[in-house]
Amino acid sequence: MRPNQILETEAVVEERIFSVSEFLDFLNEILVPKKVVIQGEVGEKINNYPKYSFFNLLDKDGSLLKCFVWREVIDNLGVNIEPGMEIRVVGFPEVFKKRGELNFQVEKIELIGEGILKKQFEILKKKLEALGYFNPEIKKPIPKFCENIGVITSKIGRGALKDFLTHLGNFGFKIFFYETKVEGVFALEEIVTAINWFNQNMPNLDVLVLIRGGGDWESLKPFNSEEIVKVIFSSKIPIITGIGHEDDTTLADLAADLRASTPTAAAKILNESWNLAKINLPKLELNLNTLLKKVFDAVERKLTLIKNDLTLKVQKEIFSRKKEIANLGGNLNLRFKHYFRKFEFLEKNFSKNYFEIKKIIKNQKEKLKIILESLNENKNRWQKRLKEYLKQEEKKLLLASPYLKLKQGYTITEDQFGKIIKDPSKLKVSQEIITKFFKGQVVSKIKKIRR
Amino acid sequence: MSEEKFNFTKAYKEIEEINEWFQREDIDLDEALKKYERGMELIKKCKERLKQAENKFEEIKKKYLKDE
Repeated sequence: MRPNQILETEAVVEERIFSVSEFLDFLNEILVPKKVVIQGEVGEKINNYPKYSFFNLLDKDGSLLKCFVWREVIDNLGVNIEPGMEIRVVGFPEVFKKRGELNFQVEKIELIGEGILKKQFEILKKKLEALGYFNPEIKKPIPKFCENIGVITSKIGRGALKDFLTHLGNFGFKIFFYETKVEGVFALEEIVTAINWFNQNMPNLDVLVLIRGGGDWESLKPFNSEEIVKVIFSSKIPIITGIGHEDDTTLADLAADLRASTPTAAAKILNESWNLAKINLPKLELNLNTLLKKVFDAVERKLTLIKNDLTLKVQKEIFSRKKEIANLGGNLNLRFKHYFRKFEFLEKNFSKNYFEIKKIIKNQKEKLKIILESLNENKNRWQKRLKEYLKQEEKKLLLASPYLKLKQGYTITEDQFGKIIKDPSKLKVSQEIITKFFKGQVVSKIKKIRR
Repeated sequence: MSEEKFNFTKAYKEIEEINEWFQREDIDLDEALKKYERGMELIKKCKERLKQAENKFEEIKKKYLKDE
């Protein structure tokens, strides 16, 4: 139920009788949706509990507002709230039913004064740096040629959008503009929503550009919060920031994937590669033509080289073969000549020898004939002489023969074995002996032996 | 939406790669011709894309956002 609707039906209020609880609920229903920003000074008494704190917000005239804040809100602030501190609180009023007290539920605290803001900045920077949010390694690369660009900034104000658009070259960019506040208490929430919206609804954008014109340190507050760092960190689309003047580096700049010092610089960064491409494309084209020509030239050179080389090789081969053949021919000739000469020599030698051999054979033949003749002659002589010798020897033998002695009357005595007896001492009495005569023989028995 | 298919970044990168490729020693002629043709085609497309100079501006309407 919306409180406005209830308020419009006043008749119901008159007729109805509330219980206390019902009335407080009724009040809260009206109060809670009223989100407001209140500026004041933090009072002396601050009650800190582990999960929440109570403090008073005061005015110079002594007006007092009891505030309730969750610990988380203070943690996000980076610094603790201290008595006397000038702050702005964002939240809504609510009656605590158990106490019947009006409390201001603080959703967000903003610090006031450059001194404390700088301090807050340094503390948050240190803390987020330690958590790795500014790590260069986790930064998403910006596409070289961005075409689809999401722009988050204010339409009014210091002309960030105008600066950005006028400096953006005409390269067919598609710009999707999401208007947010860039200053004040509600700026942060709107910027966070815008970044999330682009990520959810146009995740194919090349880049998000978060820009804002220059301003004092305090006006840059939305860009120096932990929330903006976290949302930039978690964005899937890369983010370029161009916030304030060149000297201002906000936490959002540190978290961004690329920091352009100003909205104009952001536009120039996006132009850069397109400008270069415009210059480089004709160069690349020319280059490619030259390169291809170079390749052709190289191939042609190579072909000529190969051709020359081949011709040279073939010529060389032919030459070497020719030489080889010539060599072989020469060699063969030489050999033939040598053999011919040898042959001639042999032939000559042979004919010379032939006659010599013939002569030798003839000589030998003649010699042989003489020898044979002399041999024949000798043979006849020797035969004659041998015959004569034999005749003489026969005569001698005839003269010496025992038969001749026997004829002359001698006898020969033999024992029964035919052995001629020359000495009778070996004979025995009554042994038979044979006595041979020239004509016949006698067998006798020994009677007596004389010695 | 046909131009969506053409990605300038990719095309430009490929052109640069082709140029680099040509710096090599020992280039095959067939491949060189293919690369050359591809390079020229991409250069033509990139030049055409550069001619589409007009930027488009669209504001995201808050009403539309709230309806979502």
